[in-house]
Amino acid sequence: MTREEEQPTLRSRRSLTLRFDIPISRTHEFWDALGKGRFVTTRCSACGNESFPPQADCPRCMSDRFEWVDLEREARLVTYTYVQVTPASFVNDEPYIIAIGEFANGIKVLAWLEGVPVEKAKVGMKLTVEARRSSEGNPYYVFVPSLPS
Amino acid sequence: MNRVAIVGAGHSKFGKRKDVNVAELAFESIKQAVTDAGIERKEIKNVVVGSAGGWYEEALPAVIVNEYAGLRSVGTMRVEAACASGSAAVKAAHDSVATGESDVALAVGVEKMTEVDTMTSVELIGRAGSYMWEFENYGMTFPAYYALYAVSYMNRFNTTEEDMARVAVKAHHYGSLNPNAQFQKEITVEKVLSSQVVAWPLKLYDACPLTDGSAAVVLANEEVAKRLTDTPVWIKGIGYSSDSANLSKRDDYVGLRASVEAGRRAYQAAKVTPREVDVATCHDCFTIAEIMAYEDLGFCEKGEGAKLVREGQTEIGGRIPVNLDGGLKAKGHPIGATGVSMMVEITKQLRGEGGSRQAPIRNGIGLVHNVGGTGHYAYVTILSRGA
Repeated sequence: MTREEEQPTLRSRRSLTLRFDIPISRTHEFWDALGKGRFVTTRCSACGNESFPPQADCPRCMSDRFEWVDLEREARLVTYTYVQVTPASFVNDEPYIIAIGEFANGIKVLAWLEGVPVEKAKVGMKLTVEARRSSEGNPYYVFVPSLPS
Repeated sequence: MNRVAIVGAGHSKFGKRKDVNVAELAFESIKQAVTDAGIERKEIKNVVVGSAGGWYEEALPAVIVNEYAGLRSVGTMRVEAACASGSAAVKAAHDSVATGESDVALAVGVEKMTEVDTMTSVELIGRAGSYMWEFENYGMTFPAYYALYAVSYMNRFNTTEEDMARVAVKAHHYGSLNPNAQFQKEITVEKVLSSQVVAWPLKLYDACPLTDGSAAVVLANEEVAKRLTDTPVWIKGIGYSSDSANLSKRDDYVGLRASVEAGRRAYQAAKVTPREVDVATCHDCFTIAEIMAYEDLGFCEKGEGAKLVREGQTEIGGRIPVNLDGGLKAKGHPIGATGVSMMVEITKQLRGEGGSRQAPIRNGIGLVHNVGGTGHYAYVTILSRGA
């Protein structure tokens, strides 16, 4: 085999860009509420199981009856990382902290941690969920450090 | 159920393989495996191809690979279990022989990851979780997934970045002895620690590379195996399991539940204990992954994985030599090929064909641990030599 970079290749003429229309009709209330600054999830009306991410069908008892409940705002930082090499579709983003926070009821959520330099992030620190809106207008959520009470 | 043996093994050179397309790459391993087995291709009735795909031009790798290799009218499928697709292919091929459906089956693992640019590969692997809740807004990457485990693990067990770096140093040492490995240079702890941070605390040298490569094994029932070879390597037990797609649904971040469960099932099926394993390949896509694997598979107690590396217990001469082929870290990690590559390595070890990196074989037992995604899938396959 000769040196790898010297090999002739044929660059494909056809490129492929994928954008997905992701159905959210059964749980759109989550995104609607988030757009109004509320952070909610599903609770099964049959067995009481709370899920996050929200889901219309209960993974515990398979019931499709559910109600929306407010999640607590305050979580504890379980683990985190600081992403410095980002995927192709995030090349315009600054490096970001991804965190997993756990609420008092045991539900865990993964989101960016903003408003704190990575050196100050600490497992166990108190976090608060905040709603954000993307430049395309889609709501999403992030963690920020809780203010000292 | 019939006993199933590996009777032929083939392995391509791993690395950036700009010189071959996916079918040509798979053929390198298929030809070797068929020649090694000493069979005619017409005896192969079933071909299972493990490939994650998406980063090379062909959408249907199984038929592309079979056509090129002259394997006509075979029963075939492509299987996907992320980075464990290779083990899944071996499992599916195994089952067709075990049930008597085929006398001889072929499992092929192949991946071409460098036909797209690096950032697109990072993107495609980053989506290997729960897209909507982890990628759409948060841009997870493969290193980031394991970094979440690393931070939690380091915090719980007082393990350091230096401890993780030692795993990479060991991998590169054995990679330097493996002509098929992508990286064949020794490295130092300092070099790992000073390499670029990709997802803190994981650095470039904590991570496996993007790799093109293939591997293949020929499986046969007892009758065919005994006709073909004096050194069949038996598939003694397979255990497999899974965990949530979304990392936030995991119980903790200090081990992979799918690995623990797959290991338990494999040990039970093979009727062996972790102490009887002579040699193993563990899924070291990142250095932290190898440390957790030791614990998840019962090679040591929880929290003692780093100590095992520090003491050299997973090198030749240690309690349980691991990844003597350089592991994913130095040999390279062509996603769908990795599991089959591990089978090839353990087959050669059990046959005593390991050369300068041969482990002492006392009980005739080897173990293949192959994880898909970040513990989304796990397969443990136990192999044995002898009658």
